[in-house]
Amino acid sequence: MIKIEKRNDVSRSIYFLTPVLAIFLTLIGGAIIFYILGFNPIEALKFFFITPISDLYGLSELLVKATPLCLIAIGLSFCFKSNNWNIGAEGQLIFGGIVGGGVALLFYNHDGFYVLPIIILSGALGGMLFAMIPAILKTYFNTNEILVSLMLVYVAKLLLDYLVVGPWSNPEGFNFPETRQFSESARMPILFDGLRIHAGIFITLITVFLSWLILYKTYLGFQIKVSGLSLKTAKYAGFKGKTMIIIVFMISGACAGLAGVGEITGPIGQLHRNISPDYGFTAIIVAFLGRLNPVGIIFASLIVALTYLGAETAQIFLQVPKYTGQVFQGMILFFLLGSDYLLFFKIKFLGLKKNEL
Amino acid sequence: MNTKLKVSEISKIYPGCVANNKVSLEFGSGKIYALLGENGAGKSTLVKILSGVVKPDEGEVFLNDKSIKLNSPLDAKKNNIGMVFQHFNLFETLSVFENLSIDSDTKDEDLRVLVNDILKKYNFKIDLDIPVLNLSAGQKQKVEIIRCLIGNPKVLIMDEPTSVLTEQETDDLFISLKQFSKDGILIIYITHKLKEVLSLCDEVAVMRKGKVVSVSNTIDEKIESLANKMVGENLNTIKKKFNKFKNSEEILKISNLNFKSDDPYETNLKDLNLSLKKGECLGIAGISGNGQNELFQILSGEIITEGTSIMFRNKEIGKLNPRERREYLMAFSPEDRISQAAVPELKIYENVALNNFKSSNFFEKGLVNEKKIKEHSKKILSNFSVNTDNVELKSQFLSGGNLQKLIIGRELITSPELLVCFNPTWGLDVGAINYIHETLIKINQQGKSSILISTDNDELLKLSDRICVIYKGKLSKIMNADTVTAEKLGILMGGGSID
Repeated sequence: MIKIEKRNDVSRSIYFLTPVLAIFLTLIGGAIIFYILGFNPIEALKFFFITPISDLYGLSELLVKATPLCLIAIGLSFCFKSNNWNIGAEGQLIFGGIVGGGVALLFYNHDGFYVLPIIILSGALGGMLFAMIPAILKTYFNTNEILVSLMLVYVAKLLLDYLVVGPWSNPEGFNFPETRQFSESARMPILFDGLRIHAGIFITLITVFLSWLILYKTYLGFQIKVSGLSLKTAKYAGFKGKTMIIIVFMISGACAGLAGVGEITGPIGQLHRNISPDYGFTAIIVAFLGRLNPVGIIFASLIVALTYLGAETAQIFLQVPKYTGQVFQGMILFFLLGSDYLLFFKIKFLGLKKNEL
Repeated sequence: MNTKLKVSEISKIYPGCVANNKVSLEFGSGKIYALLGENGAGKSTLVKILSGVVKPDEGEVFLNDKSIKLNSPLDAKKNNIGMVFQHFNLFETLSVFENLSIDSDTKDEDLRVLVNDILKKYNFKIDLDIPVLNLSAGQKQKVEIIRCLIGNPKVLIMDEPTSVLTEQETDDLFISLKQFSKDGILIIYITHKLKEVLSLCDEVAVMRKGKVVSVSNTIDEKIESLANKMVGENLNTIKKKFNKFKNSEEILKISNLNFKSDDPYETNLKDLNLSLKKGECLGIAGISGNGQNELFQILSGEIITEGTSIMFRNKEIGKLNPRERREYLMAFSPEDRISQAAVPELKIYENVALNNFKSSNFFEKGLVNEKKIKEHSKKILSNFSVNTDNVELKSQFLSGGNLQKLIIGRELITSPELLVCFNPTWGLDVGAINYIHETLIKINQQGKSSILISTDNDELLKLSDRICVIYKGKLSKIMNADTVTAEKLGILMGGGSID
């Protein structure tokens, strides 16, 4: 007979070390998969994890990918910490991109230092408003935020599709499903010549700092923490539950919207159908891998960003599909959940008792 | 067909409590047996043993003079022992018939014939093909009963079956139970409601603190005699101290308050009226599940009502949430100290910050003032003799008594005018109980008021100035504590009336 018991005291250092263990196990899992596919596992892993970041360009690409992941995951941590399951960051990212992109098109051929900030703010606002839909439906109509936020992803995707094919498509674009290229004043400044790393990274870093401040030093953060641990206690302490749900969704949506607007004004420079390689979904993994902790999320976003790059290199050098990146992301989540389970519960193997036979 | 069920010298010990202490009882078919007792008297444990959910440490069960082993609910089913639990085990979204066929080996067509026969025989009116979630509580219970009847039970055990039923449904149930009994099924009926025992059952066994204290024919019993046996006669000896605040001003008044819950497992409160004077302790007795939880939440503001229905120091507070009520100097100590009054994963000082309002200055301009909270916490730890001075300790490492001291201390250090507490000494050791009792007496002496909702009559008689009883969401009239005896409380708690 097997018995599963909750562990009472989980040491804090082990709690933050299990993500490292999960990554280690993912590497082993990846090696096995590559071996089965007929590659030399060490070589393959090198292509996957070392080659992509062995030059400056690679490092810059890593930061380009980590920037939106980190930003979205930080936003999600507000939701997840308070037991609100916002699964629709991808939709909020796209909607933020749509609103920001729309404003950028509005300012087409417009110069001025004020253009970019307006675009960025409208993108954040767009994501925020889009995230408020599941929040309001949850608080006032008792709907399930997981379903609503997830389904809204497809709404946002289809809306973007419609816009880039129809009303917003480039008049000189030979009917390609994309908008005009944004003008220079609507683009994120590039930090180094020849590299794609852009000023969006500062937005991410500022957001990380602000989140740390809010989560650990403010009354709002305290309320989020308590509600996440025990809703009964939050109610007893008199926290305004509904307001708080809406606030965490707003923060999370704004972060996703910022990520979206950062992508289209940064590396992409226009709107088209695929402005995000599922950053919004992958950020869920980042948030949990980083233990919903701002600093942890920074590290986690770098590691997960590496799986995106690794997949591209592996596609080139090993001729495997780039979806191996998602396989690795999946393995990270799988091993993280697995080791968490063993962290919080212990499994006891009891011998069969005589009278049970 | 005659069925005889016998339990012999059954004992079951849980850590820190003897749930069943050498319980021996005999039952025979054709009669309805009542198993009566307060919460924690050991009835449920005995029933769980009979239905195979719990294994006894000692003792045996005999069915028709043959010793039987009940290691799992399946064994109980094999031995034709059927059981209807207080809370239903039904799949809400499946149809009635699907629910019945899940754990039956009979083929679906045969089962449908069988079930239809049962429906006709006992005059049950249930549509077999609608989802269970569309049924009333009474109908759901019938589904559970039908599920037992399919197995041709010799013994049918009902665990507090009327707690979720309306009066009409209760009457229906009693008619059915009497019919089953005529058909030769042995019925064991678990309850703490005295009236039901008298109107339904033939024999009654009373349990108290894990022991059977009496077995008798119900014809020989009255509500008073059963109440005495259930509560124990030795309780009315301790007496409340003299209270000099008898004629002081009124600080709390609840008038005509009604609460209707959407949740079928919650109790509706009907026509609540009470008033509380300065320096007074009002005790509210009752068997748990009669609306105490809801009453506490209404007082604390977790359930919000009409503004005018609750007046506290001449201000309308019905619409205020717990935090806002704290601004008016109210304080609350809920029953569930482990997962509601405090969060085990939080540090002591963080748990202290839960009782936060403007003048506490724990959070200035939205920022945490950790230093202030820690100082305040240290004061609580020393003033209320909590057995640690480390405010960084997670509260899960405090013993029950120390945690309760911390909670009471947190609530009282702000000198509130009213403390509402719900089972404040539940599960504590004698030392901690005494400390909490002394503290509660002390605040009354300082002119502060308290409302004590408790299922411990001993405690209520010791601490209250006035006492009333809550039964099915209704309050009895409020009585002066010196006129109240354990016997009277027992009658009111069981739904009887006194004049």
